Amino acid sequence: MSDKTGTLAIARIVGRVRQAGPALVFGFLFLALWESAVRGFDLKPYFLAAPSKIFEQFVKNASRIWEASAVSGGNALIGLLVGTVLGVAMSFVLSRYKFLGELITPLAIALNAIPIFVLVAVLNNMYSITSEIPRRVMVTLVVYFIVLVNVAKGLTQVRSTHVELMKSYAASDFQILRKVRVPNAVPFLFTALKIAAPASVITAFVSEYFGGLQNGLGSRITSNIANAKNAAAWAYVLGACLLGLAFYIVSIILESVTRRGEAK
Amino acid sequence: MSALEVLAASKIFNQGTTKQVDALVDVSLTVQPGEFVSLIGPSGCGKSTLLRLIANLLEPTTGSVSVNKKTAAQARLDRDYGMAFQQAGLFDWRTVSKNIELPLELKGWEKSRRETRAKEMLELVKLPEFADLYPWQLSGGMQQRIAIARALASHPPLLLMDEPFGALDEMTREYMQGELLRICGETSTTVVFVTHSIPEAVYLSNRVVVMSPRPGRITKVIEVGLGATRNEDTRAAEGFFKGITAVREALRGTHAEHAAANAVRGVEDR
Repeated sequence: MSDKTGTLAIARIVGRVRQAGPALVFGFLFLALWESAVRGFDLKPYFLAAPSKIFEQFVKNASRIWEASAVSGGNALIGLLVGTVLGVAMSFVLSRYKFLGELITPLAIALNAIPIFVLVAVLNNMYSITSEIPRRVMVTLVVYFIVLVNVAKGLTQVRSTHVELMKSYAASDFQILRKVRVPNAVPFLFTALKIAAPASVITAFVSEYFGGLQNGLGSRITSNIANAKNAAAWAYVLGACLLGLAFYIVSIILESVTRRGEAK
Repeated sequence: MSALEVLAASKIFNQGTTKQVDALVDVSLTVQPGEFVSLIGPSGCGKSTLLRLIANLLEPTTGSVSVNKKTAAQARLDRDYGMAFQQAGLFDWRTVSKNIELPLELKGWEKSRRETRAKEMLELVKLPEFADLYPWQLSGGMQQRIAIARALASHPPLLLMDEPFGALDEMTREYMQGELLRICGETSTTVVFVTHSIPEAVYLSNRVVVMSPRPGRITKVIEVGLGATRNEDTRAAEGFFKGITAVREALRGTHAEHAAANAVRGVEDR
C-alpha cells in the first residue's frame, strides 16, 4: 500500500467516525440521562428499570434471549420469504391482467384494513396451540401486501419513451417485460423489502401476544412483565430491537449489492 | 425509389365522440433516400403524430404509409428505422455500451458482434471512452449522442427523431446539429426530424415541412438551398437567413390564418 492510499483510508475512517459521532454521543447522553433519572428520582424498578440493570439482565439471559430471538426471527424470516415470493408472483399476474387488479385491489385493501390481532386469534383457532403456522401466515400476509403494491407499481410505471422505443424495435410483450418492466421494478422490490423486513419482525412479536406457543421474544416480554421482572422484560425488548435492526441492515446490504452501478 | 411515402393520411383520435381530435387531415409526403426533412409547426399541428404514423406506433385512420416500399407495419417488424426522442430514454440499469446493444439484442445478434458494433457506434458519436459508464454519469448532450448511436446501431436506412435536441442548451444544441449532419452523411441515412426551432430546421434540412394545427395539416414545403456541406459558416450565410425568413413567413401565415378563423368564430386566440 502506498502512502497516498494509506492516508486516504485513514481519511475515510475519520470521515465515518465523524458521521457516526454525533449519533453515538447523543445515544450515550440519552442513556446517561435515563440512568441518572432512575437513580436521582429513585424510580421503582416496576416503573422504569435502569439501563445498567437492563444490560445486566441482557447479559445474564443472553442464551435465552438468543433462543427466543431465533424463534421469533425464524417466524419472521419464513413469513418474509414466502410473502415476498407470493407478492412478486402476484404482481406479475396483476400487471399482465389489468382486470384482475381491479377485482383484487378492493379485497386487498379490505384485508389489509383488518387489525393483525383479529386474524391471529382466528388463525390460532384454526391450528393447534403448539403450531408456529398462525404467526408465519400472519407475517406472510403483511409482507405479501407491501411487496405486491410496490412491485406492481414498478412493473407498470415505466417511462413511456422506453415503451415506445421497444415498440419501435418490434419487441414482443415478453421482451418488454424482461428488458424494461422487470429491471424497472427491481428498486421497487428493495424499497418494499426495506419496509417489509422490520414489519415482519414486528408482526412476528405482536402475533405472539395472542396465545399459542410461549417461546418467542413477544411472549417472553409479556410473561416477564406478568412476573414483575421489569428489567428482564426490557432486556427482551432490547433483543427485539436488535433483531429488527438486523433484518433492516440485511435488506439494505442486499439492496446496495444488487444495484452497485445505478444512480441513487 | 422513395425512402418513405405518406399518401393522404389522416389520424382522428376518439372518432365519433365529443372528444374527437382531428390530429392529421389528408397529409401526403414523399422523402427521397438520403434526404433530411424537418417537420415544424406550433403545438398540436400533428408533427409528432405524423412521425408516429411513419414509425407505425400509430395506425392512420385513413390513407397509407409506406417505408422502403413496404407497409409501415412491415418496416417496423423488419427494423427498417431507428428512433430518438426528446428524452434520451437510455436505460439507467444498462451501461452505455449495453444501451447501444439493446436493438441488436432484440434482433438476436451474438454477443461479440454486438460489442463490436457498439464500439463502432461509440467511435461514430466520438464517445469511445464512455462504454462502461452508466447513463446518469453523462451530460444531457452526451446522453443524446448515445441515443443517436443506439438508434443507428443496426444501420437502419431511416432515422426518425422527435425533438431530440429540445432539452439541450443552445451551445450543445448547435454542436449536436453539426454532429448529426456528419453522422447521417457518413452513414447516408434518411432523416425525418420534428422540431420547434426554425434555425435548427433550416440548418439541418434539405426540405422543411411547415404544418398548422386544428386540423393538423401540411401548409407549405420549403426547399432549403444550402447545398450538401454545412458547417459553422453556414449559420452566417445568406441562404441560411433566407431559409429562416421563408419558414417564418410560412409559419406566420398559418398563425394569421388560424387567428382569423378564430376571430370569425369569436374565439380569443392565445
